[in-house]
Amino acid sequence: MQGHDDGEPTVRIREVKKDRVNFVLGNVDLAFANSLRRVMMADIPTVAIDMVEIETNTSVLPDEFIAHRLGMVPLVSANCDEAIRYTRDCVCLAGCSFCSMILELKVSCHDDNTMDVTSDHLEVVPFPPDEESADPGEELSKRGEWFGHPVGKHDRNVPPVLITKIRKGQELKIRCIAKKGIAKEHAKFSPCSAVSFEYDPHNKLRHTTYWYETDIKGEWPLSENAKEEEAPRDDEPFNFNAKPNKFYFEVETDGSLGPQEVVMKGLAELQTKLANLILGLKIGGADQIDIMPDDVPVPHVPPPDNAWSGGDPNTWGMHAGSASGGSSSGWSQTSPTRGGAGSQWSNDASWGGATGTAGWASASSPQTNGWKQ
Amino acid sequence: MNAPARHESYVLDDGEKAVEVIEDTKIPNAATIKIVKQDHTLGNMLRAQLLAMPQVLFAGYKVPHPLHPYFIIKIQTDGTVTPQKILEQACTKLIGTMSSLETKFKREFSYKDVEGTAGGVTAATGEDPYGTTGGAWGRGGDYLDII
Repeated sequence: MQGHDDGEPTVRIREVKKDRVNFVLGNVDLAFANSLRRVMMADIPTVAIDMVEIETNTSVLPDEFIAHRLGMVPLVSANCDEAIRYTRDCVCLAGCSFCSMILELKVSCHDDNTMDVTSDHLEVVPFPPDEESADPGEELSKRGEWFGHPVGKHDRNVPPVLITKIRKGQELKIRCIAKKGIAKEHAKFSPCSAVSFEYDPHNKLRHTTYWYETDIKGEWPLSENAKEEEAPRDDEPFNFNAKPNKFYFEVETDGSLGPQEVVMKGLAELQTKLANLILGLKIGGADQIDIMPDDVPVPHVPPPDNAWSGGDPNTWGMHAGSASGGSSSGWSQTSPTRGGAGSQWSNDASWGGATGTAGWASASSPQTNGWKQ
Repeated sequence: MNAPARHESYVLDDGEKAVEVIEDTKIPNAATIKIVKQDHTLGNMLRAQLLAMPQVLFAGYKVPHPLHPYFIIKIQTDGTVTPQKILEQACTKLIGTMSSLETKFKREFSYKDVEGTAGGVTAATGEDPYGTTGGAWGRGGDYLDII
């Protein structure tokens, strides 16, 4: 990695608890550490209630309110990779025992006290045989004892999740279907409840600017992690070549997966992404090279269409290089996105129109007559 | 009703290519590579890795629009390798870093496990430092050992 790629990455776990791990990652660069953080938060599959069929709801909360709350309940998802399929990959039509779990919530209040309906009332029920898919699969045997059950249901020490409160005569009869998904689809699938990520606790790199009234040191107490690093001297000159090198993580899970599983799966997921990219380059690159010399100006892909939507790739290719060279090609257009680590082009801002790249720069006037000819 | 399927932003459609390479005609040894159904997670990491490689003159990535699930990465090399090749090398290098990290994590986690049980602190409270074995916490522990 930049500046220190000879060194192997290091890791030191400071604390592991049932639902959290605190570790220090060293000798990697910021982008790498951030990717690990992102992947742990958004790319690890878990199961969560995804569809809710409400038979009776006489509680004070409307159906959709309850459905939403049910979706948020963390379900035990250990070994999700092997224990359950995505419905989109399954042979069944809408859901079967291999790609979903059924949980039922059947409660009614008969006494004069207000009753709490909690995640402990959710019961996992087996799939009805008529909806069972005939496809043999070993998913079921890979499931742990409590797979798909609400987290903490079988542990007295874990307080359950309150769903609603009902009074005498009120009733809930609900059938929920839990499915596998990732947090990019819906945040309820995230195994992490919080991931803290810190580097450079003394702000030596000046990646941030602290606002202060009179005394910066008095008003901004140092974090615990500051003890890990040497404080800068007051007269120390700013080192603009310095790079962050130590990253303090605390990964807290909601209980659907253990902290170890989250970290290990996160790393595995990143590797899968990279491996797929290599594969894609091998496949895509091969035929790309064959075809490119024949019709060079025709890009295989429509260019990023933020500047000119609906440009047919062929028309666009014909005009590559012929239209007036402009500076406002798609490249220099900034979209309202915020890059993972700062600016849109993290390397060279002037690169877009100034160098006049083929094709890209030529698109400065999408409204030009004859553009579509 | 017209909402696209939720997984469309991260799963390749049937027959969709994960990678598309557009070679640059005006800049030598440069290419723009469009990587579909991926985001900053991969883009930023690759960019940083590429910049750390001496053969790379330029590397930059962007996600042109937050609602379009792809990013493009532009690479210019010094001519000793093609941009595609160097990207592949960057991926391989990152995978290497990742697997070395994986080993280290595994070792660290196992140390913590040993310490926890030996100390008797966690055993007394019934707490399991792994958080993945037994009880309501599933059996992730066994599974991780399989890999």
